Amino acid sequence: MSDILLIARNHLLIALRERITLFWFLIFPVFLLIILFFIFGQIGQEKEISFDITLVNLDSEGAGAFSGIVETVFDGLARAQSSDKEALFRLRKPEPGENVDAFLESELLAVRRGRRTAVILIPEGFDRRIESQLVPTPAPSDSHPESELALMIYFSEGTATSGMAVSIIGQVLAGVDREILSRGGRFDPAAAIPAKTTWVGSESGQTAYIDFLLPGIILMGLFTNGLFGVPGAILFSRDQRVLRRYWVTPLTVPRFLAGMSIGHIALSALQFGILFSIGRFALGATVSFASPVAVLLLLLATATFMAFGFLIASVSKTANSGMAIANILNMPMMFLSGLFFPIAGLPAFVKAIVFVNPVSYLADGLRSHLGVDSGIFPTALVLAVPLAWIALSSGVAAWRLRWDVGR
Amino acid sequence: MTAFRALLRTEAAILLRDKATVFFTFLFPFIFIVIFGFLMGNVDRPTARLGLIETTGSAPPVPRDLLESSGVDEVRDYEATETLWTAVRNRTVDFGLIWNGETLEFLYHPSRVQENYAFQQIASGISDAVNLRVQGLEPVLPVVRRHVGTEASTRWFNQMVPGIIAFSILASGLFAVSGHLTAMKERRTLDRLLVTPMPPVALLAAMAVVRLVVVYLSTLITLFASIAIFDLAFSIDWLAYTLLVGCATLGMMGLGTVIALIVRRPSSAGNVANVLAMVMMFLSGIYFPIEFMPRFLRTLSLALPLRHLADGMRFATGVNDMSPVRFWLIVLAFLTGALILFPVLARYVVRPQRT
Amino acid sequence: MPESFLMRVTDLQKHYGETRAVDGISFSVADAAVFTLLGPNGAGKTTTLEILEGIREPDRGEIEIFGRRMHRVDRATKRRLGVLLQEGNFEPYLKAREVIALFASFFPKARSADEMLERVSLTEKANSYVKNLSGGQKQRLAIAAALVNDPDLVFLDEPTTGLDPQARRNIWSVVTDLRTTGVAIILTTHYMEEAETLSDRVCIMDYGKVIAEGSPRELTEQLGQETIIEFDARDVSDADLEPLAASCKGVRSEGELVAVETTDLVAAMEKLLSWSKERSIPLDCMSVRQPNLEDVFLSLTGRRLRE
Repeated sequence: MSDILLIARNHLLIALRERITLFWFLIFPVFLLIILFFIFGQIGQEKEISFDITLVNLDSEGAGAFSGIVETVFDGLARAQSSDKEALFRLRKPEPGENVDAFLESELLAVRRGRRTAVILIPEGFDRRIESQLVPTPAPSDSHPESELALMIYFSEGTATSGMAVSIIGQVLAGVDREILSRGGRFDPAAAIPAKTTWVGSESGQTAYIDFLLPGIILMGLFTNGLFGVPGAILFSRDQRVLRRYWVTPLTVPRFLAGMSIGHIALSALQFGILFSIGRFALGATVSFASPVAVLLLLLATATFMAFGFLIASVSKTANSGMAIANILNMPMMFLSGLFFPIAGLPAFVKAIVFVNPVSYLADGLRSHLGVDSGIFPTALVLAVPLAWIALSSGVAAWRLRWDVGR
Repeated sequence: MTAFRALLRTEAAILLRDKATVFFTFLFPFIFIVIFGFLMGNVDRPTARLGLIETTGSAPPVPRDLLESSGVDEVRDYEATETLWTAVRNRTVDFGLIWNGETLEFLYHPSRVQENYAFQQIASGISDAVNLRVQGLEPVLPVVRRHVGTEASTRWFNQMVPGIIAFSILASGLFAVSGHLTAMKERRTLDRLLVTPMPPVALLAAMAVVRLVVVYLSTLITLFASIAIFDLAFSIDWLAYTLLVGCATLGMMGLGTVIALIVRRPSSAGNVANVLAMVMMFLSGIYFPIEFMPRFLRTLSLALPLRHLADGMRFATGVNDMSPVRFWLIVLAFLTGALILFPVLARYVVRPQRT
Repeated sequence: MPESFLMRVTDLQKHYGETRAVDGISFSVADAAVFTLLGPNGAGKTTTLEILEGIREPDRGEIEIFGRRMHRVDRATKRRLGVLLQEGNFEPYLKAREVIALFASFFPKARSADEMLERVSLTEKANSYVKNLSGGQKQRLAIAAALVNDPDLVFLDEPTTGLDPQARRNIWSVVTDLRTTGVAIILTTHYMEEAETLSDRVCIMDYGKVIAEGSPRELTEQLGQETIIEFDARDVSDADLEPLAASCKGVRSEGELVAVETTDLVAAMEKLLSWSKERSIPLDCMSVRQPNLEDVFLSLTGRRLRE
């Protein structure tokens, strides 16, 4: 038994001593966890972000009532609500006496170049237009077509912040709309329809992004560990003629494999521990892995990816080709699994990859068991597909894996 | 001159025979594009299917045109609350609405964290519109949203492709030095070449030329693949594009030189380059928008060459606008970096190993 | 052949297509002896050894180790063997002590890591990573790993190839110490001095066959009571050599040296001296020596051990 345990211990020690392994299997998942948390965790947290917008009011000569209301509302939102929170908008307006057309040009350019999020333009004649809408008089045929008198919001559609800002501006303007209508006696605020939000099947509201993200990152860590770590260890040791020194002793391949597997599980457990600790104590995750089913799924994932690593090792002639294969498989398997991106709208032939990919099932099963997602796949498949992969991988490896350099 | 030509042929042969490098240079970006093209297809505007229950009563029904103009793609009608709940839960519909004449109850799936934001925006629009419509009113403020910029920049994937190309330029240039050349140094292949009358500059020039050609071709393949498969729109300024690709490739070789000079052993250079490339990939705004990251990360992003290369690529392919001054400054910066580091690299090549 | 043997090999064969790497090798090894397979590169020494170590399949032949016949070396036998492979490495990020401890765990009974490191003079490197050891130190570590189980039969495949003279002498002393403890050792080498210094019996191989076997003395004595005179061939042309070859029997030119084999030293010396005076050839670096295994090989094959 001691030979198996020593092999396991050495596997773990070597992984920790090789600085590059340490980076990829420990530091990189942590890095990814933190980055993704900041990026996607902020969507929906738009109250936390401050947007750079510009307001140009071309109708201010008349000091019109309506354009004035709009301007006042935005001015108000540009003032910080409390000392520690930034205002929703950082508002820019033309200086008194400044050439307004030139200002507008430069601001639009700024939007195009990403320095400004949106420009709100209140056109000349705006107040008259609103008035004429509120007071249904037979208006003289207006030579101004409607669109010229509309309030323009200029933005950059492909940019995430721009899109967000425009949505918020839209909501603000809808509020102004109601305000104007109620001041005009047309809209009755008391009869406003309240909107209610219900989260289907959850008492506590929407799942926190970190609770959705953490199981995914943990699985990703286990995945890269199996995909790169296992073939790397076997192939480099084989090619460097380290393994053959074992085969002239009474050590048998099965015992060696047992030791390696235990070492791999230990390494995976360490990785899990670090990721979970950071997720829980630094990023506020509440999801708990303490149930037997969760542990079982994590072990199943570790075993599946480890077996997959053996599969890769057995179809690779050299260490370099093995790493190349691992690199090729890494992206598709990780991204076409629903781990990070929703797989809903994918075309059929791409979805086929999703359905063959064991990561999809493990991710889905783990998340749904932890209560952060409702599963798409039935439990039977969540267990069966990874197990099938384990069987396939082990079979191919047992048949084809060469334990010594070819002769 | 003949030394140079011979080296040119050798370098080209080495590159093309190494199947792994050929794959990564040409096919990898292509595969990337394909995968992300399909994944990102829904990011810009996820399909919004609404499950609707209107309890019969004296309340006016929700006008369908209103739903459509708020962004709903498909409306499915349901009778019972349970069935709507089930439909939301197993994603037959993306969100739900129960309208009983008095409240608008919107139903969401609690775990669709990345998509719910968009659905909530639609819901908010519906709510505003219904509020007015119920009182017989139309919105008073005419609001028109107008996108400034190219049509290409409206799709996130359109923005992503130049970023992917930028990354492949980075990788090729970086690993040409901190990978290929350092491996030659480690394996002493370099020494054998250097005891000949061949000037080191010839080797570097050959390497650079081969890489320039290969990288340029691979960027074109990527571009055309994305146009052909995903129908993306680019308006390429060929002069700017070619100069950017060329100078950036050389500049990235310069970056590889810096790494090779810093590390203790040549074999570590490849690993350091890998790590650096990975970090830059995430912090340069290529795959994820960096606008949401904390300020210090956004500032750090400005120091990364990949960030400016990606921005420059978007400009050269007609996706995003940029001050031309800034663009040519970027090109110039890459070229200058390369020119300064080229002789440094030549000295590195002949430097004896410090074991 | 000695009556009691630890290992006997009969008609071992290994073919790769047309090539006969091992072509009918037979020999036996007794207790407490160093048995050396000597031959140039490609003679089949390592292939033979790898078959005996169990990492290569023979096409034909019989192996008898510790009194048991087998086609392929089995696990029980491996417990009593110690093997130093010609090409092999340890995990770079393990410490020397950890390596020995690891190998020790493969056997039911083994010595402690510290003891083994002491034996090969690596105690001060016990906590160093393998990747920081020199070539000679790595080889000593490998020998320590090969001996950790107190084997009865040890295979050392080219143990000093590529090492500097100091390291080589280190390993020679390990081998001679080992021999005094009663262990049987099978050694392969292409270094003639190694074979002569360490061996009790030498088996000369060429092209997969045994072409001679015996103690070093027996083999050199087969050449007859010959003496060899050698001198620098730098200024000697083929034309110069003609008259010498006519008067002396065994004259040959080998690159930098001219060699004259003779059974009558005095007569040969006289002829040589008069020839050198006639031709004005300075007999630089002249030496007179006894034949060695290199000469044995040359006489058997017409080629040198080292090309």
